[in-house]
Amino acid sequence: MNRIPLQFSIMVTAVALAAVLAGAWLSDIDREYDSRATLLPDQVMTLLPEPKPLTDFALTDDGKRVFDLQSLKGKWSFLFFGFTHCPDVCPTTLAVLAGARDSIARNTVDAEDIQFVFVSVDPNRDTASKLRQYVDYFDASFVGVTGDDAQIASLAAQLGATYRVAITPGVENYPVHHSTAVFLVDPRARYHAVFTPPHDAAAISRRFKVVRKLAAGRAT
Amino acid sequence: MNWRQPVFVLWLLALSLVPAAGEEAGVSVRNAWIRESPPGNSMMAAYMELRNNTSRPKVLVAASSSGFQRVMIHRTVLKDGMAGMDHLSQIELAANANLSFAPGGYHLMLMNPKRTLRAGDPVVINLEFRGGLVLPVDFEVRK
Repeated sequence: MNRIPLQFSIMVTAVALAAVLAGAWLSDIDREYDSRATLLPDQVMTLLPEPKPLTDFALTDDGKRVFDLQSLKGKWSFLFFGFTHCPDVCPTTLAVLAGARDSIARNTVDAEDIQFVFVSVDPNRDTASKLRQYVDYFDASFVGVTGDDAQIASLAAQLGATYRVAITPGVENYPVHHSTAVFLVDPRARYHAVFTPPHDAAAISRRFKVVRKLAAGRAT
Repeated sequence: MNWRQPVFVLWLLALSLVPAAGEEAGVSVRNAWIRESPPGNSMMAAYMELRNNTSRPKVLVAASSSGFQRVMIHRTVLKDGMAGMDHLSQIELAANANLSFAPGGYHLMLMNPKRTLRAGDPVVINLEFRGGLVLPVDFEVRK
């Protein structure tokens, strides 16, 4: 008769012990996320060994203002290339980026040095007002930019972004292919890192915070 | 023998009375949803989990909905580091297998919604299988 309570207490002890161990293991993982080790190329992000300075380009933002190299200075910029007639990849990625922004910018101070830029590779259909309406839906702070083909190509080539727009006369829904990566440009307008899909808001935010901290450490 | 046996029998009886929701001719659909799109956008995508409960393959050949001008079976594919879309004329659901329509993969492309759809709105999309089976599925618009 004594056996059952004994077994029960052993079981409770085992469960409690497992919980403590799991807790320790999880906090260990959490600590690890804060170290340089996580910045090695992995499924989420690749950090360039040396940040690569970008050169001049001239695009136009969704308020019809100039968006050029200067617009990338003083802020960390997350850039994603896509088009608004994109039913799957673009809305999925922009929703993730909106989540990443929320997670990075817990307050206004955190948000001051970041911007999210949606570069449309389809200027034929994506007018300034269309872009504004589109990015606004995901996050009012997002910026939509586009321009003529040569200027889009200039920025894309510097980041290694690829795309192909197959404009077909008379066809409303012509196909557009575009890279799915999210490019990170640092406040000195240097290509700094790239996030590769499948994108996840928490993973992007966690790695960005480490990158920002390390860059601040190097600058001082 | 003890109280468990009749309870078990009752439980079995109750189970047998539950109608098989969203299930017809051996194909069931779960987690059917449509991503809410930015205002004025003409392209949307629908996702779902399809299951073929039979021992024979089922072939999805088309989809249609009164809520859209056109519905197409698409798959997002990665080629040369770029995402593009393949239009599929049909998809085979293997016997006793699942097929997932999810972001970044298979989806139903919904062109030109006839009215603005907001999160929570219900939309019926008819899935048409080879052999004439048409399965109306309730999709939920989600943000």
